Amino acid sequence: MSDEERPEGAAPAETGSEPAPLPSGRGLGALVAGFLVPGLGHVFLGRVGRGVAFLVLILTSAGIGLSLEGNLYRMTPGQPLTYLATLGSMGMGLPYFILRWGTGYQGSVTAVGYEYGTAFLLTAGLMNLLLLLDVWDIARGRKS
Amino acid sequence: MPVDHFLLMVLYALLVSVFFALLWRRERRARIKLFLQLFVGMVGGALLLAWLMYPFPGGPPAPIP
Repeated sequence: MSDEERPEGAAPAETGSEPAPLPSGRGLGALVAGFLVPGLGHVFLGRVGRGVAFLVLILTSAGIGLSLEGNLYRMTPGQPLTYLATLGSMGMGLPYFILRWGTGYQGSVTAVGYEYGTAFLLTAGLMNLLLLLDVWDIARGRKS
Repeated sequence: MPVDHFLLMVLYALLVSVFFALLWRRERRARIKLFLQLFVGMVGGALLLAWLMYPFPGGPPAPIP
């Protein structure tokens, strides 16, 4: 792939059919840190500004969802989609577990902003899952 | 927190647009360009969809919980 064809931010592709090297222990640590605290994976890899910006964005999204009393998904037997939604929400890492088991947050289905709040909370988790993919690519040297 | 449908939609579009602009682009100008594309696309698309749906009859009013 030439430089012109390469997506912006992507590192040069490795030559031949050799796969990119697997992330080192530091890279795996960044993945775990990034899962637990949004943006911390980027900070671990030296992208401090970006990491802090992502942390602010994700916490803002989660905070708006909480203030609207949205649903923090949990698995409901017989409702397969709640399994997917729960995994998505869990993507926000520690905030999810603190809210669910630390504070017992449940949301309020009768709140006016319930549906909106649910969307914001779910989005916060999905954003962090995408960040983990970015951390993985940075750790493998595929992105800058 | 006040529940204003349009305000919440704009807020959501703002957060998502900034997020993807930071995630997918590294250059400042490219980030601003992508942010504007996403933000205008989401807000403008929603308004356009709302305008297209305007002639369709609405259902009964939602019950007050």
